[in-house]
Amino acid sequence: MTNKFALIDCNNFYASCERAFNPKLEGVPVVVLSNNDGCIIARSNEAKALGIAMGEPYFKIRELVRANSVIVCSSNYALYGDMSNRVMRIIRRYSPEQEVYSIDESFLGLSQMPFDLIPYMHSLKDQVKNWTGIPVCVGIGRTKVLAKLANKIAKKYAKFNGVFDIDQLPKARFNNLLKTIDMGDVWGIGGKSKHKLNQLGIDNALAFCQMDKSLIQNMLGVSAVRIQKELFGHSCLALELLRPAKKQIVSSRSFGHPLVSFDEVNQALTCLARKAVNKLVVDNLGCLSMSVFIRTNPFSKKQAYVNFSKSTTFVNPLHSDRALLPIVSQLLRQIYQAQYQFYKGGIVLTQLVPRDAQYDLFGAKDRAALIVGKASHKPLLNSVISANEIGNDRWLPNAERRSPRYTTQWQELLVIE
Amino acid sequence: MQQSTHGGVRSGAGRKKNSGSFKEETKVLRVPLSLVEPVKTSLKVYQSQLKTGVEVLLPQNSPEDVTIPIFTSHVQAGFPSPADDYLEDKLDLNKYLIQHKEATFFVRAQGDSMLGAGIHSGDILVVDKSLKAISGKIVIAVVDGDFTVKRLHKYGERITLKAENDAFDDIKIGSDNELIIWGVVTSVIHRCD
Repeated sequence: MTNKFALIDCNNFYASCERAFNPKLEGVPVVVLSNNDGCIIARSNEAKALGIAMGEPYFKIRELVRANSVIVCSSNYALYGDMSNRVMRIIRRYSPEQEVYSIDESFLGLSQMPFDLIPYMHSLKDQVKNWTGIPVCVGIGRTKVLAKLANKIAKKYAKFNGVFDIDQLPKARFNNLLKTIDMGDVWGIGGKSKHKLNQLGIDNALAFCQMDKSLIQNMLGVSAVRIQKELFGHSCLALELLRPAKKQIVSSRSFGHPLVSFDEVNQALTCLARKAVNKLVVDNLGCLSMSVFIRTNPFSKKQAYVNFSKSTTFVNPLHSDRALLPIVSQLLRQIYQAQYQFYKGGIVLTQLVPRDAQYDLFGAKDRAALIVGKASHKPLLNSVISANEIGNDRWLPNAERRSPRYTTQWQELLVIE
Repeated sequence: MQQSTHGGVRSGAGRKKNSGSFKEETKVLRVPLSLVEPVKTSLKVYQSQLKTGVEVLLPQNSPEDVTIPIFTSHVQAGFPSPADDYLEDKLDLNKYLIQHKEATFFVRAQGDSMLGAGIHSGDILVVDKSLKAISGKIVIAVVDGDFTVKRLHKYGERITLKAENDAFDDIKIGSDNELIIWGVVTSVIHRCD
């Protein structure tokens, strides 16, 4: 039985989410900025055509933006997350096997589908567009690497109307296609591997396919050999139907303003810790270790760049805000120095274990945490918060151009006259 | 060769059969690593039961998560509640108002142009993007980039977006207008206050 995979990828996802609720953005260049309005993280096709690069710092393209009336949006993750859930749930209807690969990409297993796959995937694409307003492209192939490649083709050439099955290409044309594929565009080949291959003069996927297997193994390791096999059509990478267990939870931000006083930094880190603890609660986990870090701006010419961090471990796994938030302040006190302006900080929870694993005979249940937990009922509502979370809010990241959270806040619904 | 009289089996030596903590014969078994802890725990419980003769119950994974069972009526001696046989799900407004979860969006109406259709300013409209916009439906339309809520009328090629309030004009869609139907309004949520 031959394998068959599809990769469904939303086109310019964040920009498309903005357009779904603001039709005026249709046909004009749109970019979305990262947290704290730092860099470009999404571009509409019109913005790509202007030469705006992914990851480019916003301050560098201000002129270009003004000259071409580019619409600039701060990121609105509440909206993107909700739209992503909707898209993924629609995609799930098309196969019992789905791997949600990222916020805007999903693999589907199509091996035993008794359908003509191209029309089947066209109906998926149309349904996602009609139901959510988000345009997607579908790539089909015998392996995940080929499906990913097919998706690129589906996006690039309008004549395929958004759905492309790479297995239908005759051998010669398939090879011609591989020749046009840059190694960096092959899924699973990272920047370092690409660099090593380029030094050998191997800059396209066809040349990579023709390489000796043992040479690849020696140079790049077995995972690259798998990628080569996948390009040949031998499926080595299975769908990951279950999400792998979380190894760590990171919650960090660039601050809206450089922070100097201890109280300001403490507010920022306590609020960030709250976000991390909420994730612990949702996944029913506890943590055995926590670290806190603060940094100054590496680009600043006025002061030295410093990066302070401190970790601690616990005998019993901790999972409640009551237990964890005070430790954040204790750790911070040990690394904080008044002469610096801090521009970024965060906390990392590691050694995650199931919440009710028992470690220490004396690890009594924290009854107060239970009561507070009940009072706030759902931990995410935060009706009971720590005093450290209250402050001047100067840490909050900038999001000057954030669109309303149309789908998650009653006060921010789309208004229609 | 002479048979050795040293070493080998001596009858009556060693641990007595069935004298271990389980009081019966045991067997070596391969257990997946992930199951080692649960298996060990249940063996320990079994052991202590054997030892003390007291039945030990394993603690619930997370005691605070125990939900109240669905039968909540008081048990009265002699008279079980006759309602327990008629337990049904609670009424869920989401189920009532939403047909296609992924395609349903809430929007807020502003203005009085659709008063006749029961849409007041400030009402929340339930909009289903998956439904086909047929003539006579109330729709969220985008005319030349601007949102509006109106009743859709199609007569052959002629498309009109009708207001339901005499003080407002209908929007006739001409050949130079761009019309997109964003979604179909399925319900109006109006607060009475």
